[in-house]
Amino acid sequence: MSTHGRAAEESTFVRTYTLTRGRTRPRHLLGLATVLDAGPGRLGPAQAEECEEILALCRERRRSVVELAGRLGRPVTAVKVLVSDLLDAEALVVPLTHPYADTGAESGPSTQLLAALSAGLKRKWPDAIAYPQAG
Amino acid sequence: MPSPTPRPDDPAAVLRTSPRPHADAAPTVLKIVIAGGFGAGKTTAVGAVSEITPLSTEEYLTEASADVDSLAGIEAKRTTTVAFDFGRLSLPDAPVPLELFLFGMPGQDRFVDLWYDLSRGAVGTVVLVDTRRMESSFTPVSFFEDIGLPFVVAVNQFDGAHRYQPEQVRTALELPASVPVVTCDARDPNHVAGVLLTLVGHAVKNASASRVHHAPTTTFQDA
Ligand SMILES: Nc1nc2c(ncn2[C@@H]2O[C@H](COP(=O)(O)OP(=O)(O)O)[C@@H](O)[C@H]2O)c(=O)[nH]1
Ligand SMILES: [Mg+2]
Repeated sequence: MSTHGRAAEESTFVRTYTLTRGRTRPRHLLGLATVLDAGPGRLGPAQAEECEEILALCRERRRSVVELAGRLGRPVTAVKVLVSDLLDAEALVVPLTHPYADTGAESGPSTQLLAALSAGLKRKWPDAIAYPQAG
Repeated sequence: MPSPTPRPDDPAAVLRTSPRPHADAAPTVLKIVIAGGFGAGKTTAVGAVSEITPLSTEEYLTEASADVDSLAGIEAKRTTTVAFDFGRLSLPDAPVPLELFLFGMPGQDRFVDLWYDLSRGAVGTVVLVDTRRMESSFTPVSFFEDIGLPFVVAVNQFDGAHRYQPEQVRTALELPASVPVVTCDARDPNHVAGVLLTLVGHAVKNASASRVHHAPTTTFQDA
């Protein structure tokens, strides 16, 4: 966690403003956890270098918006603007998820998904500390 | 007469989605938030179970704006950025293929826009408590109480710090009996995994309880 000094803030802003060519709002509704796959589309000319980086990362494996922003060292909103461009060009696509994937954004995951998460964690860490449950 | 509804195999129906076959469908993503004050062990806890070195991700914070998804207003000189941790792990052996995203959430309440963003749709939150700075946990705890996100409290045992019993921390933070309070070492994957399991168990109880409408809230949870 860090907040930068005033000078650093302004230079971050200038860098980002240039990167997104002045655009301040992503065209697609993207969450931090939205996952992206490389698609069949090609990048247009004169795209930011960061677009190539995003595509290279997504060719290796699926990546979320938050992970791309972390790896590029760019603010999330700026990365969403670039990802929107790449979705329009179909250079990125949103992968199909399993039908259970409706996690109900506002209400939280279903009890079935929570049970699956619990089982998955126990399999991955059979020696996890078993804390007595409150309540 | 053509049907307005695309057939399932209509290419238009899968526009902008992956050409990969369904067997290779992306795992379902679940999110857990790790909250706590500076130095409470958030990055350490994320790193203990993440498959990638925790990433420090930046986002803008514009003062007096709930619109975190826009750079508009960034011209205003008061724009700041805040960094939060991101880690992930896959659980391919779960009954449903899952990927768990972990977010380390900074503790100060001037980051509340980010708190909402990180918490949206999450399983719940682990509030890491550094007993040397207990007071820094009050604001996150009341935030999660207010938005109704299930949370557990994990007390870090720092070397040289006074060892508080979980019940002492419960009293100090005025937590109801239903909220699990555990001690953990954020450096140890088995401890962190145990805390995550405690949170998931707690979230299951909350989800079942919230389905019983008009039930007295204490009857089942505090048993
Ligand atoms: N003894 C002990 N030290 C810890 C524990 N968790 C974190 N630390 C140490 O405390 C320091 C701060 O932890 P960090 O994860 O960076 O805190 P953050 O600011 O919340 O991300 C680091 O030097 C960690 O090694 C713990 O459970 N026990
Ligand atoms: Mg940290």
